Amino acid sequence: MRLRTTGIVLLCLGLFCAVSPTGRPTLAAGPAAAETLTVYNPMGAPPPVTLRPQAPRLDTLKGKTLYFVNTGFIGGDRLMAVMSDWFKANYPDTRIVYKESGAGVSALSPALWDEITREGDAAIVGLGH
Amino acid sequence: MKKPAVPLILDDFEPQEREVASNLGMPGLRMQFFRGPVWGKTPAQLQKQVIEGNNPVTGKPVMRELVELLTRPLAAEERKTGELRRDAGPETYTGTPDELHRLFLEKRYTDFLPVVLPTEERVAEMLKFTSRRPDEELGRMNPGSEAGETWTYTVKTAAINAVMAGAEPEYFPVILALGSTGMTAVNVSDNGFMAGAVINGTIRDEIGLNYEEGAVGPFAQANTTIGRAWSLLSINGGNCGKVGTTYMGTIGNPMNLIGIIMAENEERSPFKPLSVRRGFKAGENVVTLFMGWGILSAKNWAATVWGPNMDYPGIIKEIYGTQDGHLFGTCAVLSPPIANFVRDAGYDTVEKFTEWVTGQAPGAKRAPAGPEINLGVRRSGGAFTVIVTGGSNNNYFSMGGMVPAQSVRIDDWR
Repeated sequence: MRLRTTGIVLLCLGLFCAVSPTGRPTLAAGPAAAETLTVYNPMGAPPPVTLRPQAPRLDTLKGKTLYFVNTGFIGGDRLMAVMSDWFKANYPDTRIVYKESGAGVSALSPALWDEITREGDAAIVGLGH
Repeated sequence: MKKPAVPLILDDFEPQEREVASNLGMPGLRMQFFRGPVWGKTPAQLQKQVIEGNNPVTGKPVMRELVELLTRPLAAEERKTGELRRDAGPETYTGTPDELHRLFLEKRYTDFLPVVLPTEERVAEMLKFTSRRPDEELGRMNPGSEAGETWTYTVKTAAINAVMAGAEPEYFPVILALGSTGMTAVNVSDNGFMAGAVINGTIRDEIGLNYEEGAVGPFAQANTTIGRAWSLLSINGGNCGKVGTTYMGTIGNPMNLIGIIMAENEERSPFKPLSVRRGFKAGENVVTLFMGWGILSAKNWAATVWGPNMDYPGIIKEIYGTQDGHLFGTCAVLSPPIANFVRDAGYDTVEKFTEWVTGQAPGAKRAPAGPEINLGVRRSGGAFTVIVTGGSNNNYFSMGGMVPAQSVRIDDWR
């Protein structure tokens, strides 16, 4: 009884199978496989962005005051020290000022912001990690 | 400050920082990238790595390029003003199923498992299980940090993602309740956070949530696909979980796939349901969201405990003392037998048990969490949450770091 059932099942499978060029049997592709569907895009909506211009650049670093602002990530102080040394060696006429952000890793304290605006010409801020 | 400034950034973060700059309205912001890490390096190592090194993105010497970024005149693109309106692509896509599956993978609309394609018919069927308008704004979501954008999504967006997750339409009110909070299931943090939810009320049986054996695992369609729908809604509706931009988990978290969606075993629990303890009526359909590291900590069980040593309250208290309570406190998921051990030990309410475990009366003011960066500082245990679920076939429980956030009435979203 089991053998007869197995034989019928194999016979039925044979009706739906073809032999591929590699010799392995494959299921015959029906017309549904090529049917096209229209589906929705699943994304939400991004917010609009207000474009902001960058500040004008300096024509030279000579005679200018360059602030190094350390936002407090570990090692930022050492990095800024070696960078400051490079500027002192290569741009001796540039005044270097080192400060800590005073407001954690993601902001500058208002007092420092005002100081750079008032007394600085440019700033290098780090460390983005 | 209207003065030229250049941020210093490790090159590993380039895609994310460019996206953040774009989101803030400066798509061409001048940044200086260099090879990291900086942490733990000597000045001599930094001299070689950074000062004498090249920007891995542009190939130019770091310091010469830094000077150029401060002095090269701005191009017109860098001075642009106005509003940039964006969209997330066309409303629909047409193709064969194979083409569409490939497209969804390429556009990162999936969790890399096959999805159910969201046809108009399937989405319409999902929407039948809520009275809310399809175009109603359901929520606003960012990846869990102010550095990421906040995207908006509608009831229909949630329906599309629910279809993709393989959810049945009757689960949809739960998915809407989760989406209405705006809490992402795929947090950006390099810590690798996960999200979970506990469901209370009659809806547990109505939609076939599993709260017996395997309650926190992928062993019922409702638990699994509700969690997956929340993750997909976060990936698509909230644009979360994009590695390099809106996802930064250093080693990641496998629970971001389907979260942990639990229904409490209210029938076998000796305690009031979580929702009732949070102020809702008994029987009310409520989902409480959780965030954390997950459960299944290394010390979550004690197989050799037997006879007089079966002091499960004491074991739980001991494990609580080993948990890092700084961010998420401690969550204890107890099977009904363990919950009954706790009750029989004299703690007939979760409040009494909590007071004993933490050593603090309910509502007592806790120690401050500490500064933003406090590496090495550990606050033992923290907030303590008890959930009762699972089977009664053995004395097991799991503990870990998860803290409850909002609780939402599910019936408001029918």
